[in-house]
Amino acid sequence: MADEREPHSHDHDHDHDNMDADAHALEHIHDHDRQFQPDIEDTPPERYELMTYAIRELLIEKGHVTADEIRQAQETLDSWQPSRGAQIVARAWTDPSYKERLLKDGNEAMADFGVDAGGAKLTVLENTEDVHNVVVCTLCSCYPRAVLGLPPDWYRSKAYRSRVVVEPREVLKEFGTEVEDDVTVRVHDSLADLRYLVIPKRPEGTEDWSEDKLATIVTRDSMVGVVNPKAS
Amino acid sequence: MSQIFQTGDKVRVLEAHPPGHRRTPYYCRGKVGEIERVCGEHRNPEELAYGFDGEPLRRLYRVRFRQADIWGGYDGPENDTVDIDIYEHWLKPAQ
Amino acid sequence: MAEKFTSANEPGRGYHDIGGLDYGPVDPETTEIKPWEKLSIAIGNSMGGQGRKIVNTDMGRRAREGMGEEMYNALDYFERTTESTKITLVEQGLFTEEELEARMKEIESRLAEVRAQ
Repeated sequence: MADEREPHSHDHDHDHDNMDADAHALEHIHDHDRQFQPDIEDTPPERYELMTYAIRELLIEKGHVTADEIRQAQETLDSWQPSRGAQIVARAWTDPSYKERLLKDGNEAMADFGVDAGGAKLTVLENTEDVHNVVVCTLCSCYPRAVLGLPPDWYRSKAYRSRVVVEPREVLKEFGTEVEDDVTVRVHDSLADLRYLVIPKRPEGTEDWSEDKLATIVTRDSMVGVVNPKAS
Repeated sequence: MSQIFQTGDKVRVLEAHPPGHRRTPYYCRGKVGEIERVCGEHRNPEELAYGFDGEPLRRLYRVRFRQADIWGGYDGPENDTVDIDIYEHWLKPAQ
Repeated sequence: MAEKFTSANEPGRGYHDIGGLDYGPVDPETTEIKPWEKLSIAIGNSMGGQGRKIVNTDMGRRAREGMGEEMYNALDYFERTTESTKITLVEQGLFTEEELEARMKEIESRLAEVRAQ
């Protein structure tokens, strides 16, 4: 095995950045007889990782989808990041007419940022002096993925899904967020085709900030409504 | 299909527990809320889940419930609400 | 104190329908989503469009609700994603469980071979 670690070039029709070591190894094994040496995890993959690869292969082999279509779906998924939501919120904070467009029709307004949410109806909620909004999907984990990416562990957890509808203020405290009694808390259970994005309250001390700087303090968690953005 | 409810109408969620794929959560069944907005017509997910085409389209509403009307002993402020997206066939008028 | 439900085991209530139960404190910490987990989502996304009805979101949800309470509680979200995709595809006759398990073993061997070098 003299040259097992030597890199070699050949036609790469896959994208290294979007693929983990094992999946990469799989594709190379398919492509040619010679074994390639990527950085591979030392531990064997677990059951559901293997199952995912196997489903992918069988679907492609049986002609139900192409490798390219799956790759494109992976790339689209990777383009869905909370930074997009943050840009949208920063624009809403600085441009009242944009905010009105967002509140009226989220899909139409977010298209300005190249967001295509497929069949989801992006519905925007505004946190104000009087109302604090927080979003959940109690039945599964629906989430505005086009503008926030994949949902984090806590959003997917049974703890959050079960409790935020019945004791939202207690759950918010677990994120370090206190909502005063004179502010109404509205929980939104997104169970159909609506996907909710919260415009959190703009913190004081940011009045002369640029849109770009504002976007840096709009966190994913603040756009779900469990925390408020901070100026520092 | 003509729209049954308008924004502001009081509605009661059916106290029904049919088997199969449903998107009306248990905690709001039988409860009274108010139509917060009308949300357009969509293919019925209860049928899409079984390979049907989900037609005819069903109207979707956002129904706003006072937390105090859903949970006994809710100790937050009485204005606190939970808004749930519910299909027309799960709703009937409430007094 | 709001009166929460004590059990999901009520007539006509799915084990996934958990609003109002109490599954304990929320841990705000997040872990990075692994590439295979993203692939599990991407597979579903690639199939649900273009008029294909083989896998759609609603079928996937039904499969999550039908995999059984034990499995639902034992698996994490992305494992359930793959399990529900499998259930839906097997139901539609795209492959059998045996075919899938055989392919999984084969992939495991391929990867082990590469690791062994």
